Amino acid sequence: MTPAIRQFITLIGKDLRIEARSRQTLGLVVVLGLLIIVVLGLGLGVQNNVPGVSATAVLWVAYLFSGVLCFEKTMAVERSDGVLSGLLMAPMDRGVIYLAKLTSNLILVFAVAMVVTPAGVLFFGFDLSAAPLTFATIMGLSIIGFTSVGTLFSAIVSSTRLQGGLLAMMVFPITLPLVIASTQMMVQTFRDRNPVGVSSLGILFAFDLIFLTASWLVFEFVLEP
Amino acid sequence: MLRINRTLAWGYWLITAAAFELGLFLILDYAPVEKSMGLVQKNFYVHLPSAICTFLAFLVNFVACIGYLSTRKDWWDDLADATARVGVLLCSVVLITGMIWGKTAWGQWWTWSPRLTFSLVLWLLYVVYLMVRSSVESGQRRALLGAVYGIIAFLDVPLVWLSVKLMPDIHPTSIELAPAMKVTLAYWFLPVTLLSLGLIVARYRSNVRSRAVKHDAQVDPAQPVGFTLAGGKLS
Repeated sequence: MTPAIRQFITLIGKDLRIEARSRQTLGLVVVLGLLIIVVLGLGLGVQNNVPGVSATAVLWVAYLFSGVLCFEKTMAVERSDGVLSGLLMAPMDRGVIYLAKLTSNLILVFAVAMVVTPAGVLFFGFDLSAAPLTFATIMGLSIIGFTSVGTLFSAIVSSTRLQGGLLAMMVFPITLPLVIASTQMMVQTFRDRNPVGVSSLGILFAFDLIFLTASWLVFEFVLEP
Repeated sequence: MLRINRTLAWGYWLITAAAFELGLFLILDYAPVEKSMGLVQKNFYVHLPSAICTFLAFLVNFVACIGYLSTRKDWWDDLADATARVGVLLCSVVLITGMIWGKTAWGQWWTWSPRLTFSLVLWLLYVVYLMVRSSVESGQRRALLGAVYGIIAFLDVPLVWLSVKLMPDIHPTSIELAPAMKVTLAYWFLPVTLLSLGLIVARYRSNVRSRAVKHDAQVDPAQPVGFTLAGGKLS
């Protein structure tokens, strides 16, 4: 095992162990996601439910808000007791720190999605049986892209001693292409019953690839104790 | 030197004003009235050049952000701020003229058509850039945060374009123009570009000056050093 992989696994282990022992992020974020779905469900009412569109939009709102809260919390852990200063002094590439932080954020966001998605699908009567795999692929790719940007920005925002809200403001507009593309693909798949082509999915792949690479490259510039 | 600069600036703004004057003449007197759209079609001469200049301003912003991140020279940050401000202003012009057009052509101020959505997302991306900058106190952190966000925001632009193409479209993709209309449209790139460039340079110079003032205030030699009231002794 190369040192980079060993460091990567150690860092993820640290994050997940902290979460398992303190349980301060996951519970909070899951409940927030569920609350958002209930509020939007009550607000939109049954009469405004368009198959494939309403549920996607509601899920996006839930993912975005709970995701941003998740990134804020996991980065705040690094700030306490000078953990980040220790990490920065350790002889390792800062790209590894980014990838480890991204992976632990992804694990948490996917865990939230595992609870929030069935709730959204259930409450909004979203019939996934036409193309469950397409739904999972679109949402999975979107979450990866969204988390890659969120992890980078959470590192910047946490070092500026700013109050909450700024991270959401930075992440939401950047994520809009994912929201637009995934919503259009859901409409195409579940309302118009047309299978989604590779070219449409390519936008999501491109987003993930571009922002993973860009974030990985600029991460070392933004990380300061 | 100051006087030469001031004369140059005055000359530049006079030429820009004259260019706008001639542009207005071309719109009102020279270009014919379009049959189906009527007078509203004339805002198209401002709409398209503003859209192109918006994109150019954001492109320069992207270059300036990369410049700052790689060299950490303050003037890159001043340039990035100036281009983003002018870009947002131009993008607002694009949105407003586009909405006036849409009201006449499609009967409503706003539809979620690809190009309208694209302009709106572009506007949002850079309004957030300005907001993010203004909410950070420290100069260096602000510049760094702005540079990273600016790079990510510009990389987002082609993706927004690709994603909006999935939406159903009603926007005209090509427009038949009479020769006089083509001349007017081509001409309008001149005043809009002159105005954008002038505003960017003016804002850039103002940024540089305010940075110099802040720097002077921090190391003001007129302040007494080492004298404390409580102890009453000089060190």
